[in-house]
Amino acid sequence: MIEQTFERLESRSRERIAAAMSREELEAVRVDVLGRKGELARISKEMGSLTAEERARVGKLLNGAKQGLEAALEARKAEFDRAALAARLDAEWVDLTLPATGAPRGSLHPITIIQSEIEDLFVSMGFTVLDGPEVETEYNNFDALNIPPDHPARDMQDTFWLKSGQLLRTHTSPVQVRGMQKLGPPLRMIAPGRVFRNEEVDASHEHTFYQLEGMMVDREVSVGNLIYFMKTLLSSIFRKDVTVRLRPGYFPFVEPGFELDIECLICGGAGCPVCKQSGWVELLPCGLVQPNVLRMSGIDPEEWNGFAFGLGLTRLAMMRYAIDDIRLLQGGDLRFLHQF
Amino acid sequence: MKFSYNQIRDLVEGLETAPEALKGLITMKTAECEGIEQIGEHLARVCAARVVSVEPIAGTHNVKASVETGRYGERTVVCGAPNCRAGMVTAYVPAGTRLGAATIDKRTVNGVESDGMLASGAELGLNRDAEGVLELDVEPGSPIPGCEPDATIEIDNKSLTHRPDLWGHHGMAREVAAITGNRLKDPVNPRRIPAGEAVVKIEIPDFTLCPRYSALVFENVTVKASPLWLQYRLTAMGLNPINNIVDATNYLMAMLAQPMHAFDRDKLTGDTIRARPARPGERIQALNGEWYELAPADLVIADGAGPVAVAGVIGGMDSAISGSTARIVFESANFQAAGVRRTSARLKLRTDASIRFEKSQDPANTIRALAMAVELLEQVSPGIRLVGGLADAYRPKPAPAPISLPLGWLDRKLGRHIEEAEVTSILESLEFGVSRQTPGVLSVTVPSWRATKDVSLKDDLVEEVGRIIGYGSIPPAPPMVAARVPAANRERAFQHEVRAMLAARGYTEVYNYSFIGGEAARRFGYEPGALVEVANPIASDQSLLRPSLLPGIWKNVVENARNFESFRLFEIGLEIHPANAGADLPRQVSHLAVCSAARQEASPAAALFELKRAAECLMPGAQVRPVEPKCYEHPVRAAVVDWHGETVGRLFELHPSMVESGRAAVLDIDLEAMERARPAMKRYQPIRRYPSSAFDLSVVAELRELVGGIEQKLARLAGEPLEAIEFVRQYSGPPLPAGKKSVSFRLTVAAADGTLSSEEVGAIRGRIIDGMQQSGYELRI
Repeated sequence: MIEQTFERLESRSRERIAAAMSREELEAVRVDVLGRKGELARISKEMGSLTAEERARVGKLLNGAKQGLEAALEARKAEFDRAALAARLDAEWVDLTLPATGAPRGSLHPITIIQSEIEDLFVSMGFTVLDGPEVETEYNNFDALNIPPDHPARDMQDTFWLKSGQLLRTHTSPVQVRGMQKLGPPLRMIAPGRVFRNEEVDASHEHTFYQLEGMMVDREVSVGNLIYFMKTLLSSIFRKDVTVRLRPGYFPFVEPGFELDIECLICGGAGCPVCKQSGWVELLPCGLVQPNVLRMSGIDPEEWNGFAFGLGLTRLAMMRYAIDDIRLLQGGDLRFLHQF
Repeated sequence: MKFSYNQIRDLVEGLETAPEALKGLITMKTAECEGIEQIGEHLARVCAARVVSVEPIAGTHNVKASVETGRYGERTVVCGAPNCRAGMVTAYVPAGTRLGAATIDKRTVNGVESDGMLASGAELGLNRDAEGVLELDVEPGSPIPGCEPDATIEIDNKSLTHRPDLWGHHGMAREVAAITGNRLKDPVNPRRIPAGEAVVKIEIPDFTLCPRYSALVFENVTVKASPLWLQYRLTAMGLNPINNIVDATNYLMAMLAQPMHAFDRDKLTGDTIRARPARPGERIQALNGEWYELAPADLVIADGAGPVAVAGVIGGMDSAISGSTARIVFESANFQAAGVRRTSARLKLRTDASIRFEKSQDPANTIRALAMAVELLEQVSPGIRLVGGLADAYRPKPAPAPISLPLGWLDRKLGRHIEEAEVTSILESLEFGVSRQTPGVLSVTVPSWRATKDVSLKDDLVEEVGRIIGYGSIPPAPPMVAARVPAANRERAFQHEVRAMLAARGYTEVYNYSFIGGEAARRFGYEPGALVEVANPIASDQSLLRPSLLPGIWKNVVENARNFESFRLFEIGLEIHPANAGADLPRQVSHLAVCSAARQEASPAAALFELKRAAECLMPGAQVRPVEPKCYEHPVRAAVVDWHGETVGRLFELHPSMVESGRAAVLDIDLEAMERARPAMKRYQPIRRYPSSAFDLSVVAELRELVGGIEQKLARLAGEPLEAIEFVRQYSGPPLPAGKKSVSFRLTVAAADGTLSSEEVGAIRGRIIDGMQQSGYELRI
């Protein structure tokens, strides 16, 4: 009898809980059923007239109904919370295709990028990175490199002279001289930097460009060693195995001296305008260090020898990024520079 | 330098390598070939033809000529040449032949079908004579003697700088013979030097300036055009035919690299030729028609009356060969390279002769060239006669000592083993003398033409052997060396960090030129006269070296403002200032310039504060201190940046008059000062274990009082317990009186060894408030 009363109460209350459409309606159900003046409280009050045995039985039923309904109320309430959260979050919809905020990305200059890569590569092979001044003495730029005054090789580099008698270095080679004096043998060094030649500027000529000088002096350094370093360098820059060739080239501070060509990366050696149909691109002069150059820097050429090279960083950057106008590199135009 | 392929083939026995292949071989083993130009291809089709009959064509200057060509049978052509006459033998060009850009077609001229053409020397590219058709003395059908298709091989002059011998065909032919394994012919017959007393005397006061002067005298000279073969050969060598005597000097020079000069004997005064320094005030009119003022540093060739040539550079007009020349003095001399080079540079006159002499020519070559001249002049000026014997003045020089070449050393230098027999054969093919000194060591004698400057060390022989075996045959190999750790370059690593950080924060790296002009210098407050100046600038507005990166940055701002609403950029480069007293070189200082520019700023002075943040990221704890502006700075937006007690740079807005629209803020940092100020090592601070307490204070101050200053005062008053002080906001307006602002800070205080009680915090706060009030500040509590 009493069981049926509870059952009815419970099932009616569950229906009302399920039907409640808001937290307020749910609260009304709770007050009606579980409140101090609610239906369960009323039944509880009536329990005083029951026998102890019945009271225990009804009490158990009462507790069961109370716990069951409380759980149902909680569950329904959680449903409302979830729905409310979902609705609130849905209102926070944003269009993620709108532009990003904050400063847009900046970029490094293409020569900086290549230069850093080469520096890292050579440092990993035991080379020190040296710096040298852009304004140099005539002695360091020429004489100490076996190019005395009135030597015709001075014509190979049109020089910017300063009124003070010094000059803007025409190559990074004077850093060889500084390096030999600073480090002494054995040594491995590179020196990237800005160099100057008094030339008219056009799409393929600049009066200001970048080189990377390299030098190794040790007990036994061979042409084969030089070729090894140059191949490693170029394969790393171009991220593939490159074919190189060495041919005679004259530079007074090396003997023998070479021009190193790489097989044209544009046409693969078949011939194209970039390589002037030759299949090869002249990339860097190099050679074994001329004994006089060692001697002038206080190194005994009978005991030590070495190689040196002068890599055209500007040329390399142009090849890697297919830049067809050298003037862009120092033009300061962000439409160009942003691309790197 | 241009080489005639045919000439080289004439000097190399059995040469079969085609020009294109030869170009590759020479490039890989001797010197860089810049290109090949085919010349006279049409000559393969051209032949001699006899004019059988000539009929005038009414109303024209042209004639209808029947020619017997031998090779092509009888043909009829229309010819306009004044010398076209029956019986003559001339050159016939068959129809279908390409001549320069045009093709000779069979076509009707003046109603007559012309089947090919009769040609002048100019039309055939043999010389510059366009007066009439060629007059030949050969059988119809035969080719024009000595005029075959040829190829001009052009070699980059720079790659011949060290090789005096390669400025002549014989030297290049020697290389080709060595490369191809053929035998070299010598065009010189030394027995042609006449014996007997010379009829001119040579005086050389200083053999250093003129190591050798040789000459021959000829009479019964006829000056006329050179034979066709010589004119054509000179053309293929890139030289202009002039007359037989001048052509002979040029051809000998092109053959043997020995510059020669012919004087008209009858225009020389006296019979003594002197190679002496010019006297002050002497001048000469040169063959090019120009007058040159000479100086004692210049060596001249002088007769009894004065200079007749600038030694090694150019001849004089007065003694030049002319149509009436009957006797000549043929000069073949050797001059000091540096002297010729200095004179040539001073007179701004580079000639075929000076270019050769400055490479240090071989003194032994003078008489070889004269021996060859005797034979050549007999050919080009029939009837010519030698007068007397050789005039030859020189100071005998000992032969250079042989070079010891250890073969093991050679292998180690190249990185490859080469058999002794191969080394010997390579050196001998280049005409070095080779003998075995001791087992494993060769004794190598250098030929005179390589001994002037080019080859003197065993290292020079490494090149001779290496280039002929081919550097491609040397395997790449890493060196076997000690694995030393390279010395770090901290400054450069730091600069790379700075670059990376700025790029990550949105700044794009630019490279600007090191040159600026006077106007830009003045705009940035520099007196042009006080800057480092280029003696030979590329343009007048690029004559100074930049004492600051800012002119370049300013240019970037102006130019990029045309394309962008806002942009950020930076540069790292050297400032160049005049040398400090006692220093050799100008002061060259690494600087960083960062710029943020916008047409419209999102908030007031946004760009300035953005750069301030960039500076703080580069230099944690850096302070910005407002200072007097410079002329290019915004009058009230300029500050210096201090870091660890060192002033490292400036932060400012460019003066608005310099930016057309919008604003540009700039951070200019001396990277060397920054590097000096940078703490050597970081040390970790333990994280506080006890909670701290925070409270806010608002201070009323004058509108332009610096927030940084108030903050410092508060911090000083808070003393030891202050853990942090942070600006919160500032406000001006009601209820504050006009000209005042209220600045709020949050102060965090703590004790090292425990938690501060609320009474202790209150006491600290009270102490600060009291202190501020005593300094005259009102606090809004």
